[in-house]
Amino acid sequence: MMTRLLLACVVIGIIGCDAAETVVVYTSVDEVFARPVAERFQDETGTTVHLVPDTEEAKSTGLLNRLIAERERPVADVFWSGDPVRAAVLKSRGISAPYRSPLAQGLPAEYSDPDGHWTGFSARARVLVYNTTLIPAEQAPRSVLELTDERVRGRGCLANPLFGTTSMHAAALFTTLGDERAKSFFDGFRRNGGRLVSSNGEVRRQVANGTCAIGVTDTDDAAVARREGAPLAVVYPDADGMGTLVIPNCAVLIAGAPHPEAARRFIDYLLAPETEEQLARSEAAQMPVRPGIVVPGVTPISDLRPMPVDYAVLGKRLEELSNGFLATWVESVRTEQRQ
Amino acid sequence: MTSVLSLEASGRWRVGTVLVVAFLASMPIVPLLGRSLEPGAPALGPVFWGSLWTSAGVAAGAATIGVLVGLPLGVFAALHEFPGRKALLVTAALPLLVPSFLWAIGWSELAARVPGAPAMLRGTSGCVLVFATMVAPLVLLVSFAASTSLSRSQVDGARLAGGETRVLRLASRHAIVPALLAAALGGIVTLADAGAGEILGVPMVATELLTSFAARYDVQLAARQCLVLTGLVLLAAAPVAWVAGRRLADAALARQTAPFPRQLAGMGATASLALLVLISVLLPLAGLLLPVVSGPWSLAAEAVELTRDNWRRNHFTLLVMGAFGTVARTAANTLVYAAGAGLVATLLGFGLACAAGRSGTLRTIALVVALALFAWPPAAGALGAATMATASPAWLDPILRSRFTVCAILGLRLFAVGTVLGLRAWGTMAPSWAYAAAVHGVPPRRYLWRVVWPSLRPSAALSMLVVSLLASADVGTVLLLHPPGADSLPLTIFTVMANAPTTTVVSLCLLYLFGAFALLLVLVHLAARRP
Repeated sequence: MMTRLLLACVVIGIIGCDAAETVVVYTSVDEVFARPVAERFQDETGTTVHLVPDTEEAKSTGLLNRLIAERERPVADVFWSGDPVRAAVLKSRGISAPYRSPLAQGLPAEYSDPDGHWTGFSARARVLVYNTTLIPAEQAPRSVLELTDERVRGRGCLANPLFGTTSMHAAALFTTLGDERAKSFFDGFRRNGGRLVSSNGEVRRQVANGTCAIGVTDTDDAAVARREGAPLAVVYPDADGMGTLVIPNCAVLIAGAPHPEAARRFIDYLLAPETEEQLARSEAAQMPVRPGIVVPGVTPISDLRPMPVDYAVLGKRLEELSNGFLATWVESVRTEQRQ
Repeated sequence: MTSVLSLEASGRWRVGTVLVVAFLASMPIVPLLGRSLEPGAPALGPVFWGSLWTSAGVAAGAATIGVLVGLPLGVFAALHEFPGRKALLVTAALPLLVPSFLWAIGWSELAARVPGAPAMLRGTSGCVLVFATMVAPLVLLVSFAASTSLSRSQVDGARLAGGETRVLRLASRHAIVPALLAAALGGIVTLADAGAGEILGVPMVATELLTSFAARYDVQLAARQCLVLTGLVLLAAAPVAWVAGRRLADAALARQTAPFPRQLAGMGATASLALLVLISVLLPLAGLLLPVVSGPWSLAAEAVELTRDNWRRNHFTLLVMGAFGTVARTAANTLVYAAGAGLVATLLGFGLACAAGRSGTLRTIALVVALALFAWPPAAGALGAATMATASPAWLDPILRSRFTVCAILGLRLFAVGTVLGLRAWGTMAPSWAYAAAVHGVPPRRYLWRVVWPSLRPSAALSMLVVSLLASADVGTVLLLHPPGADSLPLTIFTVMANAPTTTVVSLCLLYLFGAFALLLVLVHLAARRP
């Protein structure tokens, strides 16, 4: 009797193990925003999602290195990137595979890879944040370039431009302003005593606690700080000038994914209008890129002047800058800070 | 039949075993070592060299403070009984399991928000402070363990000769070499830790490594930087290892085994240890809590609205309950990785110690190898392991892509701790025990179980404990190797801290620390009750 019961348990256990399909999703999107989406997909489809989030930039070697190391025999099925640059790195190294989802209809083509290796959806923007106890509203900054102004000497904050969305912003400045003006901005920031900090989260913290008066960060960082009641206001910069950099999320199918069908279904889910709406309503307050999705309290992209950039080439430009000007510039800022 | 004497006699098996253990421990970094030797990597640049010297200075400063604080406190705590001794020792050990990013954020929040906060909390001095609060507990624990290995007759003799002062001097002399080695280990850990430097704005060599790995994706450059860093560590560590290898332990006489009774001490001892706990644990924790308690939307404001009816809907309560859910999901993995790493490091380290035996040369070589491998950053071994797993057939995944892999790589990285403690423990054993066992024909298995294991057990337990704590703080290795869905609590804290509400992050940190504190207190209590 006991033997039969034991055998039954083993059989049930084996059947139970094989019943649920699985998809492994690596993501550089903040876990607090990505996990609810993954859990909703799991509830609606019955497919188990193993979410592998990344740490904040500059706090660890990062998930992208894991994807590169696993290239020949990947563990991940999907990479959900918080920006197009990391997606472009994967494409350049042959780690991604093209997939044109039927749910991508309606998404603007300018936010996706022309070869179909990554598809853009739900965006953040690069914004200026300033401490309202240090800077009154009538003197609020209007442009990123004001970080070189005398009035913010020693009190401007920028995250390390070798990491994360700041790196993408740096590359965008070079392509939009041209090399001379962009270099002039970075050198001006350095001469103005600007503070180079580790991450966008650190920019948020230092502006919130008054160490810095002005900083550049992402909309989700700013939203978190405002939700917590920090004395911090947000400006979408350069509305009259070069425009505000919009940073879409990107869905990437991994080449040789162990669960390709589940991977495609997850990417379809990410690109659906309902997911964009969910991310807009979340505390990330991400902007839908698909026209027609309006969420109260979320600035629609149509209200902004987006910076005109070609996301497909931004990754390559960043690679040149990371091994060239930006690396040298970061070194010089650190040398001065050490002194 | 193998004789017990083979454990004391020299032999070629010793050199062979040392080589095998060294090879095993270095396997994860072999892929990166190979890349570092390939031609074509860009030059290291003046800023790398500048940051290298800055990091060396910070490491030396942290190690010096660690010895000056940890050695006397560890010795005193070992020799005396005083109120709150166990709880304070356990609390003092907590910084070992906290990634330095968190403590650095705590200190920087204190520096920014508390009027008149001293300038030493910022910049390079702030880095030294953060790392010193992690090195001091390591030195304290090792000094404590070394002092407890003194025999009753030694302590009584010193007491008769010159009172308590003489006892303290004897114990300090007895513990100085392991304490210096522990400080060296602590200093080496700081070289590969980018946390404090990133938060406090100090250009450290670990930041350069991180830039190479995570910004440039230039593994070859990163590998070459690691090689240079290891060279620096070897230059500094080789003389230390040469001196320590010959003085790590003196074999106790067979009859010097009775433990000494602890003397009662007054509140001064409690106050000293409490001061260390205040500086190394409570102050940075207070800094982490400041944003939660001081903002308009804050703990205080939420507490005013908290009533019996609305506590379920209260935002603060929901966030804290969510934190409990996260802890429940990740607790098992956290414990498995910590305990697994402790076991691997201890087995490997003590195995190396057994092979090195009492030979000064082999002990020096063992220490040099251990310290050199310890200098490689966590990412090096983790990426090497990921590369090897990818190149291996799928049927090896249960070994190479599993929780076991995480435990193994963490343990291999930290086996230097097991080596130091194992060398000392093995060296302290009396060789006359083996001679007596051999004379009486005691089989090796019984000798190992009845004589060697009880003698090594306290040091093995300490090795397991220290490695478990250090492994818990290693977020980078877990990120790169954990099977999907098997993340640990410290890793989860780092993946949510970017944009989770501050209350959530602080709740997770507090639950992590209190959980570790409770577990350590239980273990210490059980160990104390064991005859």
